[in-house]
Amino acid sequence: MSDTRPKNLVGKGREALETLLAPGSFSEGAVGTQTLDPALGPGAVVGTASLQGRTVTVIANDAKVRNPRFPVVLAGVIGLEEAYKMALAVYLTIEADRDAPLAEKRPILLVVDSPGNAPGKVEEVFGMHLATGAYQLALAEARQAGHPVVAMIIGRAISGAFLCHGLQADRILALSAAHGTMIHVMPLGSIARITKMDIERLEELSKTNPVFASGAGYFYKLGGVEEVIDDPADMPAVIAKHIAEIYKLNAEDRADELGPWGRGTLGAERGGRTKRGQVLDLMASQVAALEKELLS
Amino acid sequence: MTSWTEMQNRSFYEATARQRAKYLLDEGTFHELVGPEAGLSSPHLPVLGEAVSFDDGVVTGVGKIGRRPVFVISQEGRFIGGSVGEVGGAKMVGVFQSALALYEKAAAKYPGDESRLPAILISFETGGVRLHEANAGLLAHAEVMEQIQICRGKIPVLSLVGSKLGCFGGMGFVSGATDLTIMSELGRVGLTGPEVIEEVLGKREFDASNRALIYRTTGGKHRHIMGSANYLAADTIHAFRAQVQRILALPYAEITAHRSIGSPALVEEQLGLTALAAEIKPKDAAEVWAYYGNANCETIPDLSTDEFLQHVKTRKGGSAS
Repeated sequence: MSDTRPKNLVGKGREALETLLAPGSFSEGAVGTQTLDPALGPGAVVGTASLQGRTVTVIANDAKVRNPRFPVVLAGVIGLEEAYKMALAVYLTIEADRDAPLAEKRPILLVVDSPGNAPGKVEEVFGMHLATGAYQLALAEARQAGHPVVAMIIGRAISGAFLCHGLQADRILALSAAHGTMIHVMPLGSIARITKMDIERLEELSKTNPVFASGAGYFYKLGGVEEVIDDPADMPAVIAKHIAEIYKLNAEDRADELGPWGRGTLGAERGGRTKRGQVLDLMASQVAALEKELLS
Repeated sequence: MTSWTEMQNRSFYEATARQRAKYLLDEGTFHELVGPEAGLSSPHLPVLGEAVSFDDGVVTGVGKIGRRPVFVISQEGRFIGGSVGEVGGAKMVGVFQSALALYEKAAAKYPGDESRLPAILISFETGGVRLHEANAGLLAHAEVMEQIQICRGKIPVLSLVGSKLGCFGGMGFVSGATDLTIMSELGRVGLTGPEVIEEVLGKREFDASNRALIYRTTGGKHRHIMGSANYLAADTIHAFRAQVQRILALPYAEITAHRSIGSPALVEEQLGLTALAAEIKPKDAAEVWAYYGNANCETIPDLSTDEFLQHVKTRKGGSAS
């Protein structure tokens, strides 16, 4: 039997959901007791589904639709409506499990494939920074409440879109570069233009220096991606494995090994970010020495 | 040497990061944290043949305002556009961690006395991620957002925006995620910088060289009308400091009630605004000013801060200064 699964899921958020979720289990728009208006923020797909036998909230991008009200929202761009819809899906998840014990707080799966936040004039007038910020605060709150949050990068995880939809997760997983996944702030060509650095030199340096190069492998070295997955068919099992680990760490009061802070520690372990820890340690000792004066 | 009192009248817009950090706090109380003498500069810039700064473009420190210990993060636009890299990002995160540690000690020592609890001020001047170490900068932004959420319920976090380069990119949403924002009319806050919008929409829709347009779209007066700049201050260190003092004298519940985002109700409120955007499809921010009842919108950019605050009608009703 030939494998008909797409090898490249870039721009195919809805197809990716078919690969990830139990067949027929995805109830679009429904989170907890509420159903979100399907017309709202069409570039964001939210709902409830079953993954490896577990009920999860799913938040994904749809790169194939345009938002009829906001012309710059297309190709998976996260606009005002999309970001607030994503935030609401998170808050509804928290609300649905408000009284549930830690071990039963349902996971939130972020399926990541977005090239950016909406770069429009109307968006700036009304505050795109607030929309993307709102979604991040909601995800951070969900993690605090004990909901495991896993980001699965199936396509593009670019700059502000990755910050908004991915980087607040407990764990970040990525399909390997062979599947066309892209993780970066900007392509090297744009970095070269803006910083006025030589592109050939940047390309050469990027082979050994993970801090500005593009790709899942470099983010792995910095602690920015917990695991790279080579075969898309493995995604559901790997996601389930990480969800189980997150439950365990939360139960053991080891949440500081997860999320943005945990990835900071991981970045030092993997040798990609070594100064961060020195800064944190020095500041903590300096403040401790001032404690008496500050509390007088 | 210029005295602390004289420095109070200095333009906030022109002030360096270290001046803002030092003179926002009570006289003689400022201690720099992980200052230049620590020698912790960017390990990534030398690889690219770029010069480093021994504070990595962000000044962090702690001192007092009244009885409160107050931490300050102050970004320096003169160093690579105030951009955030590994070291500068870690300094920001370190401030939140230090404030949280001190909070526990202060709360134990002075039970029930909010005036003794730490606060955090962030004076922004940045375009966000430093491209030379972009990936590390991105990861640092995510950490700062997490720290802001962890501080909720405990530590007031205030944004101050009135410096030359404004507050854009990822730091735009960091400022939006704090409890409260104070801007001057010279301050600008947004996500996508003008050049990128021009690239996407074309010069006819958005001319990035049009300063008046940029201020109408992202400037302090506009943000105040929209409600996300809770307070508009005059362009002096003193004016920002005086506003901070008034805020920090309030109970925590009143401070955090200024938030723009961070709860389901606030998301619903912003969604209402988004529906308004879809309905009126403004070609220019001034159309939104008119929607909220302002007359003679073309004169608004030229009003002094005082005149503006006397006459403006804002989304939240009246002028809140």
